[in-house]
Amino acid sequence: MDISDNKVLIANRGEIAIRIIQACRKLGVDFVCVYTAEDAHSGHVRLARELGGPSGLYRISSYHDANELMAVADAAEATAVHPGYGFFAEDYRFARRVMQRDRGIVFIGPSWRVIRELGDKINTKRLARSLGVPTVPGSDRPIYDELEAEELARSLFNFQVQQGIKNPLVLIKASAGGGGMGIEEVQDLDLFRSVYRRVRNYAARQFKDEGVLIEQRIRDFNHLEVQILGDRNARNIVHFGTRNCSIQSTGLQKRVEIAPGFDPSSLSYNFNAQKLMDDITNHSLAMARKVGYDSVGTWEWIVTRNGNPYLMEVNTRIQVENGVSAAIARVKGQSGVDLIAEQIRTGLGDPLGYTQKDISFEGVGIEYRIIAEDPANRFTPWVGRIEKFDWSGLGNEPWLQMYTHVPTDTPYDIPTEFDPNLALGIVWGKDLDEVKARGLQFLDKLRLEGVAGNGAPMKSNLEFLRNKTPDILKF
Amino acid sequence: MDEKKFHQLQERYNYMRDILAGKNNENLRLLASRMEELAGRMPGLAPAELKEALKTLEDLFNFVEKKIEAELTPMDKVRIVRSPQRVCLRDILENVYDNYTEIGSQGEHSLDPAILIARAYITRRRGKRTINQSVMVIGHEKGHGEEIRNGGSATPWGNAKALHYMKVAETENIPIHTYVFTPGAFPVEDTPGAAQQIAKNLYDMGNIRVPVLSVFSEGGSGGAEAIGLADRRLMFSHGYYSVISPEGGAAIEGNVKKGPRATPELIETCAEQLRLTAEDNLRLGYIDGIIQEPDLGARCHHYDFFRLLRQEVLRATDEIVLGVRGIVPFRNMALRSRRKKTEEGLNMDTVHVRWNLSPSAQERLVERRHRKFRRYSLSAFKDKRNSGNRFRERICDVLSELFYCIRYDLLRSHQQKISNFFGEIHSETSFFFKNQTAPVRRLIGRLFSGTKARKNDAAEKQLTTLSDWSSDQDQRGHWAYVSPKAKEDKAVICPNAATHGCLDMWAPDLYGEFAGVCTHCGHHFPMEYQWYLYNVFDRGSVREFNSDIECGNPNNYAGFDVKIEKAKAATGLKSSCITFDATLNGINLVVAMLVAPFRGGSFGAAEGEKFILASERASRKRQPFLAYVHGTAGIRIQEGVNGVIQMPRCTMAVRRYIDAGGLYLVVYDTNSYAGPVASFLGCSPYQFGIRSSNVGFAGPGVIQETTGVAPAPHYHSVYKAIARGHIQGIWDRREARFNLHQSMMTMGGRNLYYK
Amino acid sequence: MLDISSLLEEIKASPYVESRITAPHCGVVRFNETLTPGCKLVGPNGIWKEKPGTLLASIERERCPRNINALEKGELVEVKSDLAGQFVEAGTEIMRVRHFLSRDEVLQILLKQALHLFNAPEKAKYYFVPSVDIKIKNTGPKSVSVHDGMELFIISRMKRETPLRYSGPDGVIYAVYFSMNQNIDAGQPLIGVCPPTQVSQIEDVSMRVQTEWPED
Repeated sequence: MDISDNKVLIANRGEIAIRIIQACRKLGVDFVCVYTAEDAHSGHVRLARELGGPSGLYRISSYHDANELMAVADAAEATAVHPGYGFFAEDYRFARRVMQRDRGIVFIGPSWRVIRELGDKINTKRLARSLGVPTVPGSDRPIYDELEAEELARSLFNFQVQQGIKNPLVLIKASAGGGGMGIEEVQDLDLFRSVYRRVRNYAARQFKDEGVLIEQRIRDFNHLEVQILGDRNARNIVHFGTRNCSIQSTGLQKRVEIAPGFDPSSLSYNFNAQKLMDDITNHSLAMARKVGYDSVGTWEWIVTRNGNPYLMEVNTRIQVENGVSAAIARVKGQSGVDLIAEQIRTGLGDPLGYTQKDISFEGVGIEYRIIAEDPANRFTPWVGRIEKFDWSGLGNEPWLQMYTHVPTDTPYDIPTEFDPNLALGIVWGKDLDEVKARGLQFLDKLRLEGVAGNGAPMKSNLEFLRNKTPDILKF
Repeated sequence: MDEKKFHQLQERYNYMRDILAGKNNENLRLLASRMEELAGRMPGLAPAELKEALKTLEDLFNFVEKKIEAELTPMDKVRIVRSPQRVCLRDILENVYDNYTEIGSQGEHSLDPAILIARAYITRRRGKRTINQSVMVIGHEKGHGEEIRNGGSATPWGNAKALHYMKVAETENIPIHTYVFTPGAFPVEDTPGAAQQIAKNLYDMGNIRVPVLSVFSEGGSGGAEAIGLADRRLMFSHGYYSVISPEGGAAIEGNVKKGPRATPELIETCAEQLRLTAEDNLRLGYIDGIIQEPDLGARCHHYDFFRLLRQEVLRATDEIVLGVRGIVPFRNMALRSRRKKTEEGLNMDTVHVRWNLSPSAQERLVERRHRKFRRYSLSAFKDKRNSGNRFRERICDVLSELFYCIRYDLLRSHQQKISNFFGEIHSETSFFFKNQTAPVRRLIGRLFSGTKARKNDAAEKQLTTLSDWSSDQDQRGHWAYVSPKAKEDKAVICPNAATHGCLDMWAPDLYGEFAGVCTHCGHHFPMEYQWYLYNVFDRGSVREFNSDIECGNPNNYAGFDVKIEKAKAATGLKSSCITFDATLNGINLVVAMLVAPFRGGSFGAAEGEKFILASERASRKRQPFLAYVHGTAGIRIQEGVNGVIQMPRCTMAVRRYIDAGGLYLVVYDTNSYAGPVASFLGCSPYQFGIRSSNVGFAGPGVIQETTGVAPAPHYHSVYKAIARGHIQGIWDRREARFNLHQSMMTMGGRNLYYK
Repeated sequence: MLDISSLLEEIKASPYVESRITAPHCGVVRFNETLTPGCKLVGPNGIWKEKPGTLLASIERERCPRNINALEKGELVEVKSDLAGQFVEAGTEIMRVRHFLSRDEVLQILLKQALHLFNAPEKAKYYFVPSVDIKIKNTGPKSVSVHDGMELFIISRMKRETPLRYSGPDGVIYAVYFSMNQNIDAGQPLIGVCPPTQVSQIEDVSMRVQTEWPED
């Protein structure tokens, strides 16, 4: 199938927009970019000007306004839209509109029904349980009755005590909520009712639904992910291994991702790590097959210290850290896997062209997220002008890939609208020791300097990343 | 002296000219030329000649006045009523009553100078005995055009004061005489709002336990009803009683919003078709008698008219009292003999009937009043239910009344007693046994501790495996009815975008999943009534009844038949009121829905009858009664008083329902204005507004015209309505179902079947 | 002490402000064809400012036309008529208008000189704390008195919100220089505060503008 007649609207900015442009170029597919006034100096704008031709770049009022994107899609005669991550990536209404409007185009991502089904935490949990996939102990439907809620909390406390957990905790979540809103913790059953009522009232006000979920609060866990890819109509669904994303900021934002998820060949764990990775991969595939998953997606898991995995949620989008899985993956023995290109290619209707048997893994990858922030001060974002951004000291090492929208030849003002992500550095090594050494080498050679409005020097998380590197993949 | 006489004739001429409003009239021209001629030769005339000439001229005047009187059009009568020379309430107090004290006004110092309240008495002589009979006189004061009187337009607080003194009269057990001299209520939405207060007046007046007599000179719509609900309603022969002013009617009819005003001809036609004269209203049955005025209408110097009025007022008050006092056969005898004597010229001043009532007579009085209004306008709509069906229905009603009575009243109270008894026994015995057996049970528990482990397995299973749950209860975003507006591929701008920064929404999302609610600011876009019909009540539970009662054209308003047929064809409905049985979370209720697409949700006789039948049905079945107002522009003007009369009629029906222990809920959506809000809707103790809807008395245009000030934006918004105490809550459309259920569980009287 | 006279003279020398009308979003532009350069424009009017100003153009996006109305009384300077019927990007200049400074604007210019200005410490979006916001929306900024150290603003950037305390003399807020969702550069004024000791001076400025600035 020839996909080169397509034109992809890139409905995003920054690093991911650049990578989508590159993927489109690689596939020989035309593209169109958008940008806002604040973002005029972003690298993706520059690249789109260079490569996009006369109708390759449009200024819009906001990345959050779907109407702007649709208007540009029509004006530029786009045939598909790639949402990137964030913004509209997991908005099933956007995906539905893109497809159902009079001039319907392709949404490069899962079909809207899949996004809706897996975007609802109750649905996802019930789907998992129906397939015997382990989920966090607790309710799998909204609870409306106070007595029922209390009874459930009581059995959750007892359950944890039996498991030998010292300080059992229970979470009350607004079942219609999302994004960490309407979640509270209960340490003591006596306090349950008052917390329950608070969450319930909040939920009724905020989400027009009084239902709550009651779950065990799990502490001391590692955060693992399984990368899934399915082609259109979900005829062929494969996985690209696991990742470990346990190194996070205080606000639980990921900072370092490593593929694969554990390394039993060089480290020892309390449990059979290889079996665990196989289990969660198989569970993820089973669910993907059940819903007919037809794009890239990530199944997020938490793994307790004694090796119990629980499914957390499914991210129905390409993720920031897709590159680190690609770095260790080989298709038919070849390196240079590009999951974004695979997503676009299959999204436009091209069959996958290979099966799980053709996919193998080699070595270990680390992805560092380089961010203007102050880790010592609760990771507060830093705003100012970047004056020097340079890693040429490393030469042109094949084991390093840098993705950034920050220009290296001119100063760059960080826009205040968005997260101050500057770059992703992906380092590959044939084993854990090599990748750690290369990671430190990369961080040492990277030059990042800047100045704030008040003259104070730049703050970044490079030191934090350096300190975390020696202990990666240890549990 | 003669000078003065001439001047008086000139005045009479001017008056005639005014009430004919410059219409070309030969008689007037004749008078004018005669007057001019006489004025020319007056200086040269001897006194006797002048007297003679004036006499001739006066005779001519009398002749012409008689002639014009015979040809008066309805619009001429409207102008007579509006003339500053027309009798006003003060003149009546001076000339009809023997003594009076004004309550709460001192010249221009008054809560509302348009409302006049007086304690008065009428002295009657029986032989040598004189008796002073007290009454509470309440009415509008136009004050011969004094500006402070506001033309007799009562403010909401003026109406509140009127109601207050009706209650005083009730306490004092004296009759109330109300005099209606109003072009309409003053359309402000202060605290309280005009509609809010009129609704309260109607609700309370329906059950006032003393005789009420009302006399209409100028009965302008809702303002008139505010004090016009009475046991006996009389009307001046030159008065008018109408749903709207002819000008207002013509403006609506001619679709004149901006630009040129309606032509005088159109206004004349409108006045004619509104059937607003005393004869019309007597024929239609909305008044009980006409008090004849002198030619061209009563003015202050018509002392004969005041004498006549006094006789009529006395007679009517006596008859109300005699109609409810004593035992039935004697009561009828007394009434009959009085009527006979009246025909023979009985002077009311020489008889005496005590006007205070015993409690049982008071009850009969209220009951009779309710029956009187229930019978109004029964022939003003098309009833296509065939007579066989109707008879069967009637039988069913009687039987079901009996059934529900047995089921809910008799059985339930006994059942409760029995279950209470067993409940008590059970709790006492179990307490006793618990204490005795506790140690034993603990022992058994220890012996069979293995069961605990099994219980833990079950708990773990409950916490980690799939539970039983049907997501049917989960209504979020899944609506049974989706608006046709959701089929257009276009963006929609939220009206609050400029102030709240709302992004445009895609119509299929907005009118589909979002249920017409802006996700950013919560603004509610109007939705079709079907949305509520299918999304609020239990699926498939809606059963319409009385759909064969159809809206007609009782006044034969020209061209209206066509319009009605058009509306029927366009909407598939037979009137703007749909009545149906439904369930909500399994609770049965009766609903009357006023729908905006049928002629703006205007309310007439058919709608009124359906509404009342629905309330009676709810009462019989002990079910909650919901009035869901998708939108109403007010009373249907083309039906004239047949429409206006629905205000007291339906309010009284609702009152009967509430007094019987029901739950009467009102929910307003989109725009609800005027008559219905000012009566049977506005009187509910439980009224709720769907967010972004408007509730009020008169629309912005009418307010601008009447008060001279353009109302502020959002003047009628539900937020304003809740702030002035009119409504009791504001609902999100998506929560209407939940809130209705909540209301049914927490509100209402003693007589609901599910409680 | 403020030299009002010379400031007023300065403003009188160039009493017009010219502004660009830009496309608020992408879409196809249609101009109000009855307008030509030099046309008089009116701003929002009616007792409640409920009637929008002169219709300048409309931009249609996703079959939904959005009207662009004049916000000030003034005149049309230029129409980019080559754009008529064309698809334009957000922010494209489509017209230029100018207006004679109103009394209120002149007063604002002078007040900026006379009031104590509290400036934005960094580039971000600013909001009033909710309690103050409600008060300002309901009864206007002059109903809010501020004091040193009072928590007055919320700074919003990078999706994080931090409170900001007011520092400076105690007084009443006379002017607000920012609006919702607007990015403010560091050093730009946020509010103008009038200390009680200066009230008479401010009133004097206001008086002078009332009497000396012509307004048609």
